[in-house]
Amino acid sequence: MEEQNNSIAVNPGTEPKPAEQPAPGRGTSLWLKVIAVLYALSLIAAFVVISRGDSIRKARPNDMALSKLAGLSQANKKNAVAVVELYGTISQGNSSRSWDHGSQQIARRIHDVADKKEVKAIVLDINTPGGSVGAVQEIYSAIKRAKAETKKPFIARFGEVSASGGYYVASACDLIVAQPGTITGSIGVIFSVSNFEGLMKKVGFKNEAIKSGKFKDIGSPTREMTPDERKLLQAMIDDSYEQFVAAVSEGRKMSVEEVKKLADGRIYTGRQAKDNGLVDQLGDLQDALDAAGEKGGIGKNPRVLKESDPFEQFMSLVDSKMQPFGTKAMSDAMQVSPSLEYRWYGH
Amino acid sequence: MNLLKTLENLIDRPETLGAPERPEGLGRAGLLGYFAGTLGLFVFMRMQSAIPPGVASFLFVLLFVLAANFFFAGVMHLFMDLTGVRGSASRLFLAFGCSDYLLTLLVPMGFFSGLDLLGGFIWLCLCLLAVVYARVRLVRRLYPVSTSKALLSVWLPYAGFSLVFFAAFAYGLVWMIWLIM
Repeated sequence: MEEQNNSIAVNPGTEPKPAEQPAPGRGTSLWLKVIAVLYALSLIAAFVVISRGDSIRKARPNDMALSKLAGLSQANKKNAVAVVELYGTISQGNSSRSWDHGSQQIARRIHDVADKKEVKAIVLDINTPGGSVGAVQEIYSAIKRAKAETKKPFIARFGEVSASGGYYVASACDLIVAQPGTITGSIGVIFSVSNFEGLMKKVGFKNEAIKSGKFKDIGSPTREMTPDERKLLQAMIDDSYEQFVAAVSEGRKMSVEEVKKLADGRIYTGRQAKDNGLVDQLGDLQDALDAAGEKGGIGKNPRVLKESDPFEQFMSLVDSKMQPFGTKAMSDAMQVSPSLEYRWYGH
Repeated sequence: MNLLKTLENLIDRPETLGAPERPEGLGRAGLLGYFAGTLGLFVFMRMQSAIPPGVASFLFVLLFVLAANFFFAGVMHLFMDLTGVRGSASRLFLAFGCSDYLLTLLVPMGFFSGLDLLGGFIWLCLCLLAVVYARVRLVRRLYPVSTSKALLSVWLPYAGFSLVFFAAFAYGLVWMIWLIM
């Protein structure tokens, strides 16, 4: 621009009149205005195209929705059978974290899947030797409540083992499907307590308990159990046993006497259990799903919804990997506090 | 001074960018450049169905663009300062905003992409290359450096950012494999 001005000063006679000379940057200004107008027009056109595309996309079924991958999507309302897994020893768990596998979380999952409109039946995939009485009963009552509220059928499927507490939970279901070789039964209650008195004497360790009542330190591993304590514990066990028998009697439509004949703590194979009326059908998971589909009114080979909240699964995986190798097993082994259990210890 | 006048001045007399006095209206022009450029980018991405709709989505992209450019301008200024070159970081940030006007080209390019005239990614890369070229020119106006050094300073934060991203990605991948195994 400066060069242009200089040239004007040097050759004033040869240049056009100042009135006809274009103002500095006028061409740029014009171009900028044209570009701004074109930009505005293209923006308007783009908004029209985008809004039309969005409305067409909304009208189309959302087959490729990411949420479909989450399994239990609200977007996909096709009828299905939900599968809730119940693996390992049943216990309350040490936390209320949603990705833990304690009885609270399982009860919540049962409630959640039963509440879903597209779920027409629920299969409990059970592979457990049982667990603590309170935790087992929490899952049992969750099934009973879900059945009462939603009238949806529950089918229990036994894998390798479904004994004691596992069978207690299954007795709440409408149908029990087991493999011929599944280990089941073990209807009964156990309260085991270790006695380290002799060992403690050897190492010179002595435990003193100051208590408000004679039963306050019942189940203490540092001394021999008294006859009164044994009597009291037996009464508790008998009561829990009666609860178990009542649950099986109600669920299997058998008399209490019939159940008691089978309920001496013995284990059965799936086939023996079927012969004794503890199992309805022999088969695998697919048979259980087919039965659930038929009971749910959606036919055989139904669509299956697995409990698969990706976040919870990921956190569960991280949690299990973050524990130093073997520490959990070690801490479980060291867990000597006695408790009432619907559990088979042969597993 | 209106916006068009400021831009006109910057195009016709780019040397004013490095003058002792800050060009009038540079702040407004720079920030509006970020807005217009981000709007172009947002509309282009929406036409490719690459980002969710809505004002919140646009504001998120705008915030990201502003934060990234603020960081990039800071890193570049630090690099220049460490190598003994003086300049203004705030002017650099605003000049980058002016270079982002080029991203408005993405809107018509979105239509071209829809007409199958080159893929959307190619158009985006071409536009980003134009932005990088403009930035190199602007850096040379703001700092007395060679083209190579200006190019290096412009690419440096991108390279650093990419390196961190790929390192995190590789680490994440290895971690996921470890989790699954």
